[in-house]
Amino acid sequence: MHQIVQAIILGVLIGGVYALMASGLTLVFGIMKVINVAQGALVILAAYLSYWLFSHLGIDPFLSILVVAPAMFVLGVAVQLVFVRSLRGPDASELSLLVTWALALGIEGVLSVFFKTTFRSTLPSYADRSWDVLGYNVGFVRVLAFGTSAVLLILLSLLLTRTRFGRAVRATVQNPTAATLLGVDANRVQTLSFGLGVSMAAAAGAVYGVIYPFNPGSHYDLISRLLSIVVLGGLGSLGGAVVAALAMGVIEAIVAVEISPIWASFSFFVVLITFLLVRPQGIFGLRERTL
Amino acid sequence: MTRNVVRLAALAGGGALLAAALTVSGSAATKAGPLKIGISLSLSGDFSDSGKAAQRGYKLWANVVNAKGGVLGRKVQLIVQDDTSSPTQAATNYQNFITKDKVDLVFGPFSTLLSAPSAAVANRYGYAFIEPAGGGPAVFKEKLHNVFFTQPAPVLQSADVFAKFLLSLPKSQRPKTAAYPSLDDPFASPIADRVRSLLEKAGVKTTYKTIYPSETTDMGPIIQKVAAGHPDAVIGGTQNNDAFAQVKAMVQQKFSPKFVFLTNGPNDPAEFPSKVGAKNVNGIFATGDWFPEAKSPGNAAFVAAYHKAYGAGAIDPTSAEAYAAGQVVQDVAAKTHSVDNKKVIATLHTGSWPTVEGVLRWNSIGEPQGSDLLVEWINGKLYPVYPSNVALHKPVVPKPAWGG
Repeated sequence: MHQIVQAIILGVLIGGVYALMASGLTLVFGIMKVINVAQGALVILAAYLSYWLFSHLGIDPFLSILVVAPAMFVLGVAVQLVFVRSLRGPDASELSLLVTWALALGIEGVLSVFFKTTFRSTLPSYADRSWDVLGYNVGFVRVLAFGTSAVLLILLSLLLTRTRFGRAVRATVQNPTAATLLGVDANRVQTLSFGLGVSMAAAAGAVYGVIYPFNPGSHYDLISRLLSIVVLGGLGSLGGAVVAALAMGVIEAIVAVEISPIWASFSFFVVLITFLLVRPQGIFGLRERTL
Repeated sequence: MTRNVVRLAALAGGGALLAAALTVSGSAATKAGPLKIGISLSLSGDFSDSGKAAQRGYKLWANVVNAKGGVLGRKVQLIVQDDTSSPTQAATNYQNFITKDKVDLVFGPFSTLLSAPSAAVANRYGYAFIEPAGGGPAVFKEKLHNVFFTQPAPVLQSADVFAKFLLSLPKSQRPKTAAYPSLDDPFASPIADRVRSLLEKAGVKTTYKTIYPSETTDMGPIIQKVAAGHPDAVIGGTQNNDAFAQVKAMVQQKFSPKFVFLTNGPNDPAEFPSKVGAKNVNGIFATGDWFPEAKSPGNAAFVAAYHKAYGAGAIDPTSAEAYAAGQVVQDVAAKTHSVDNKKVIATLHTGSWPTVEGVLRWNSIGEPQGSDLLVEWINGKLYPVYPSNVALHKPVVPKPAWGG
C-alpha cells in the first residue's frame, strides 16, 4: 500500500506539469480547430531558453518563466500570423497538422545547430532537495513544478471565465459566426489565443527542463503524450486535459511500480482506447465542454 | 553456336575472376610503394561524431608512424571513404578498397552495426579485419577468424570487471543484496544481466530487477521500487540519459546504496557531473576501455601527440581505439617483417599485443581476452580503480552519502 501511495504522489506531481503543457494544445484546438503538433517542440524550445538563462545569467528556472513566457507569446503570435492564419477552408485542420509539424522539425533543427544533440538539464541548487511527509518522499522541485503549473492553470481559467477577452474566446469556441456578428474580432481572438497557448508551452518548458534531461529530439515523445492527454480529456476542454494528465501520471507510476516499467506507457493507452470506445468525445468532450 | 559462345564467355569470365583473385591475394606480398590501408568511416549521418573521432585516431597513428619512416620502410597511406553511417555502404566501401583500390590492409569502421557486414566482406577476400569499435555480439556471432577487436573486452563482458571487483572485497564489505534496473537496449541490459548471474552465483541476493523502455523519462517510480528492497548495490545496464535520470531520482528520494554501478553515463567525465550535480558523483562506478592517464603501452606519447595535433580538448576514447588498431599492425610488421594478411591473421592469434588500450590478446573469433577498466568518481574526478595493476587510485567503498 505504501508503494502505491508513493507512486500516486509521484504521478500526481508529474501529471500537473503535463496538464500545463497540454492546456495550450487543447485551448488552441478549441478556438481554431488547429492541432498544434509543434507544442512539444515549443516546450523543448522554452526548456532551452530557460536553460540558457540559467547557465549564462544565473536566472532561476522558475523565475525565468516571467521572461520566457512573454517572449514565446510573441513568437506564438508571429507563428499564427505568418503560418496558421492563412490556412482556410474545410481542410484547414488537416493542413494545420502539416504546417505545425514543419514548425516542430524546424525548431528541432535550429536547436540541434545551436545546442548540439547532447542532453541538457537545468540544475538549480535546490534540484536535489526533498521532504519526508508521513514517510513518503516528496521532491521539492516536483512540488514547485506542480504548484507553478496549478497557479498558471488557475490564472488561465480565470482569464477565460472572468475577463472580456475570455468571454470572446468562449464565444468564438461555441459559435465563431455568431461571435463575429456580435462584434468579436475573431482574427484577433485567434491570434492572441495561439500566443497564449504557446506561452503555456513556454512556462511548462521551463519547468520540464528542471525535472527531466532534454535534447532537441525530446519533442517526439512529448507530443505523443500530449495528444493522448488532449484526446482523453476531450478536444478543447481545459478541465478534461487536467484530469487526463493527472490520470496519465498516476496510471503510469502505479503500473511502473506494481507491474513493470515496460507496461507503463502502454497501460495509459489501454485506458485511453477503452475510454474512447465507451465515450468517444473524451472525458469532457464537445457536449459538456467547460472551457 | 550459341552454346559455344556462352561457354566461351563463361570461361573468359571465370578466367578473369581467377586473375582478379590472384592479383588481390598476391598484391600485399609483392607491392612496394606506400602501404595502403582502406577505412570506411561514418563522416556523416548518425555516427558522424564517433566516425570523425576514429578518423582522428587513425590519422594520428599514420602521421606518427610516417614521421618515423613508415611501416617496413613504406609510408602509410590511409584511404578513407564516408559510409554515411550505413552498413550497406560500409560493406560496399570495403569491397571497393579490396577489389578496386587494391589496398594492402583494411581497418574497421565505427560501431557494431557497420563492422559486422564489413568483417564478412574482408573475410571473403582473406583480409585481416582489425577493428576498433565493433564489440557487440553481432560481430562475433559469425565466428570469423580474421576479426580482431582492439579494445580490452567484448562489449557484453565489459562490466564483468565490476563483479570481479566486488567479489575481491573482504566478505564483510561485499554487498549482500543488489537491484538491477536496466534499459531495454542490446548494449545495456544484457551487460547488467551478466553481472547479476556472476553475483547471484556468489550468493548476492537479487532484491529487484526490471527492464524499462527507452521512452521512460521518469525514473521516480522505478527507483522507488528499487529503494523499497533496500539493496546494498544498485547495478544498472544504462545508456547516458537514463543513467543521469536514475542518479537524480536516487538523490531526490534520499536513497543512497553502498554501491552504485551504471554501465554507461558515469564514464562520461564531461557530461556526468553537469547532469547529476558535481557533488553527487562520488563513489559511483562505471567501466571504460581507455583513459588519458592510463599507463598502457605508448599512451602518454599518444595523448601528447593528440593534443599537439588537435588541441587541448578532451579525447574521445574512439580515437584511442583506432590508434590501437594501427599499433597492432606496426607490431606485427616489426615481428614478422610482413604485412601479408594471411600472416597478420595467423600472427595476431598468437601472443599478446601492447597498445594504448592495454595489452591485447584474442581468441579464435577476435574477442579480446582482457578486462575493461573499472572506474570510480573520487573527489569529483574519474579514476581507474581496478584491476589493481592499472589502477590510478584506491577504490573508495562504500559510496559516501549524496552530496558527500
